[in-house]
Amino acid sequence: MDNDYFSIDAILAENQKIQCTFKVDVPEVGHLGGGNDRDIKAPAKLPIPMWLAYIILLSEWADLTIPAPFGPRVRNALKADPRSVRLSALVGAGGLWYGFGKMIMDILDDEQANIMSDVLTKAFRGRLTEVIDQAQHFATLGTLGVAGSAVDAAQSFREGLDGTERELFALAQESSKRTKRWYENHDKARQGTRR
Amino acid sequence: MALPQPLRTSVSPQELELIASEQLVEILPLITMEKTAFISGAYGPLRPPAKCRIPLWMAVNLKVKKKCHIIPPDWLNVEFLQERLSRETSYPEFSQMPFRFAEIAKAILDAAPDDVQNAEKVRSLLKDLREARQAKSREGLAKLDHSELSLPNLCSMEINELRPFFIHAMGVLTQLSREEQNGAAEEP
Repeated sequence: MDNDYFSIDAILAENQKIQCTFKVDVPEVGHLGGGNDRDIKAPAKLPIPMWLAYIILLSEWADLTIPAPFGPRVRNALKADPRSVRLSALVGAGGLWYGFGKMIMDILDDEQANIMSDVLTKAFRGRLTEVIDQAQHFATLGTLGVAGSAVDAAQSFREGLDGTERELFALAQESSKRTKRWYENHDKARQGTRR
Repeated sequence: MALPQPLRTSVSPQELELIASEQLVEILPLITMEKTAFISGAYGPLRPPAKCRIPLWMAVNLKVKKKCHIIPPDWLNVEFLQERLSRETSYPEFSQMPFRFAEIAKAILDAAPDDVQNAEKVRSLLKDLREARQAKSREGLAKLDHSELSLPNLCSMEINELRPFFIHAMGVLTQLSREEQNGAAEEP
């Protein structure tokens, strides 16, 4: 999720497409839109992947519209209850909603970027407690859940986690599992040789 | 060197136990031993019935072979732990506990439960204490900030359990809120 050239997270996050509205005519690159045109005429709207959009926006050939995963509907849902939003539905399972958001934030200007940063951090913080609660709970059960209706809400939250949150979940679960196992291990065999 | 993923970010509980076992405890020896040199220092002589201070690893070893009695440290008894537990539940901050109390308590309770008064009660008090502190650290998580987080009086096992998660989460927050210094140069 950083700007590291080699970061796999950054590469995956960049694969999302965003809508760009072209301001000028650009000959011979119509294939970017996936259609049969030879040229792009302004104002045409095309979905462009992030890694390409950066240069296009930098060179002032197009304008950016904030993509759907960060649109007003999602923001309102996050404001209401951050834990009920399924981030993986917005960017596809294994996708990186936070990573994507950060890239958009880097391209936007200060005022809009501040708003984005605010939305992202509030959402992250709101969901963090839930992530660690579930991770510690599942430290004993492993990755299989127990059947039960009260667990469905928890399960749908877990399915709605984005890639970054999944990593955090795994970290917390792993360390909780090890500590718990150590506490419950009363094996005296390793404490001394028997003579 | 290829370490498995969990070990790259934190220490294992067994390693912490090993480190904690260097601490000195008092014992009542049942055998006689001259002052002997070990790698970490020279200990002894053991002259029953005089008490002696030796490292925990050695005390546990002798106890298992029934060659000494371990005298629990001053904090490992019902009154002290009860008082700390009530303090833990009444104040929002963590109460002061010896830094490696979890490891030392576990080692002594496992090897020498007969030397600790009311061992069962002590075990359950320790468990309650641990759960109270865990609940507090969860609340502390809600105040997580990208720049700093101070949780005073956390002990060695607790820090180790939280460390990988907290560090990664703080890293993510740093990247998400880096906007203030960065600010994009292009785009209307």
